[in-house]
Amino acid sequence: MSLAAPLVVAGVRLAEGAAAIALEVAAHQTVVLLGDGRSGVGRLGGFALGLERPSSGRVQVLGTVIADLPEDARLAFRRRVGYLPAGDGLMHNLSLRDNIALPLRFGSPASAREIDGRVSVMLAAVRLVGVAALRPAQASEEERRRAALARTLAFDPSLLVLEQPFDGLTPRVAGELLELARGGETAEGARRALLITAPDLTPALHRRVERVYRLTRTGALAVEPT
Amino acid sequence: MFRPIGRLGDWTARRLSRLGALARFGFGALRAGVTLTAAGRAVALRVALNQIRFTALHAVGLVLLLAGILSFLVISQAVRELGRLGVTELIGTLIVVAIVRELGPLITALAVAGRSGTAIAAELATNRVMGEVRALEAMGIDPRQYLVVPRLAAAVVSVFTLLVVFDLGAIGAGFAAARLAGMSGERYFDVVLQSLAARDVWLTVAKALAFGLIVGLVPSYFGLSVRGSPTEIPVAASRATVSAIVGIFLCAALLTAVN
Repeated sequence: MSLAAPLVVAGVRLAEGAAAIALEVAAHQTVVLLGDGRSGVGRLGGFALGLERPSSGRVQVLGTVIADLPEDARLAFRRRVGYLPAGDGLMHNLSLRDNIALPLRFGSPASAREIDGRVSVMLAAVRLVGVAALRPAQASEEERRRAALARTLAFDPSLLVLEQPFDGLTPRVAGELLELARGGETAEGARRALLITAPDLTPALHRRVERVYRLTRTGALAVEPT
Repeated sequence: MFRPIGRLGDWTARRLSRLGALARFGFGALRAGVTLTAAGRAVALRVALNQIRFTALHAVGLVLLLAGILSFLVISQAVRELGRLGVTELIGTLIVVAIVRELGPLITALAVAGRSGTAIAAELATNRVMGEVRALEAMGIDPRQYLVVPRLAAAVVSVFTLLVVFDLGAIGAGFAAARLAGMSGERYFDVVLQSLAARDVWLTVAKALAFGLIVGLVPSYFGLSVRGSPTEIPVAASRATVSAIVGIFLCAALLTAVN
């Protein structure tokens, strides 16, 4: 197991009574972990970001176990990782534009003008310019997903952890958002490393990622063809 | 025989435990406020101003109405009864002690707790249930800095501002009542100003600050205490309002007792 990999899962038990799993997300790779609600795949993102602690094992992100850091350092470190929680996690009282700007306004030393410029570029990239003033409840599911992904990319992280990012989207839109998340191609592969957790993945997306695992309820990890 | 004592002990332990958790939450929020970065302060200020708009500005009419009715009723009755006894100068004491110092802060804080405390608790509970608090933490934003500190500051500023509005409204309505009862305006303001001491002003300010802290902190605590089920939101809002009201009464009694 390579310690240089952006994300390393070692001996983590995702569900009660399940076997511990080990996997890694190498740089420039997109790894998908599939499993239903009872398999516990939805907990892996929280473990990676240090929002929860696993009962066994550890998840190392960019060489660090985030949960072991002191509180202030933990918050600062999380800005280096993009995290899209299941259900988007957008602030319901902010417009889509303000939602995308929020992490930059809070955690970046850039001026308000620079942040506005960056947010405008991101809105154009996720095709939300015309609906940027809407609040999440006024936007469609697709628009909310686009906004949530743009917010995840705010600090241009090298690693993304995405939970059920394509739920309710057409294969075309899902493919488009996957490419945006990967950040374009380099000679080694995608610009960013991605870990995606979801109950399932369409065949079209299967072909566009490097590795797909399926987690059974017993914790066994099976590799699916891509 | 010992069962009732045991139950009382359990009840007391639960209450003390909750009070301890609330105190920890309060200190955590204060610490989070002190460690805000310049960028974070700008965002928090924006949230606080929005909260002040809802909590203070939108409540001015309600507070003026409450102040006007209370003062008009008390002073119109008092002018008649005290005039019969020939001690109309006691109206000043009545206005200052009963309305400005005691009832003003209490009624203002209760109005804000009922109106905005419920809204704060419901909003933060919704933030928690919808996964927004978790998303904030994942983005490297301390939820206390973004959600709690601005509301705490806004509640203190709002209660203080509305208290000034309440007192001005009460003195104005008292003036109208005194005039209707045949007292001259000059005499009314004379007796009110003579009765007003620096101690009354400081005590009123202290109450505004204490009640503002309660109105900001207690609903935030209950709102963020929900685990994740939507059915917990109305329960959190109700508990927050009741606890804030009890806290305001206890604090009012304590501040009056130590003075």
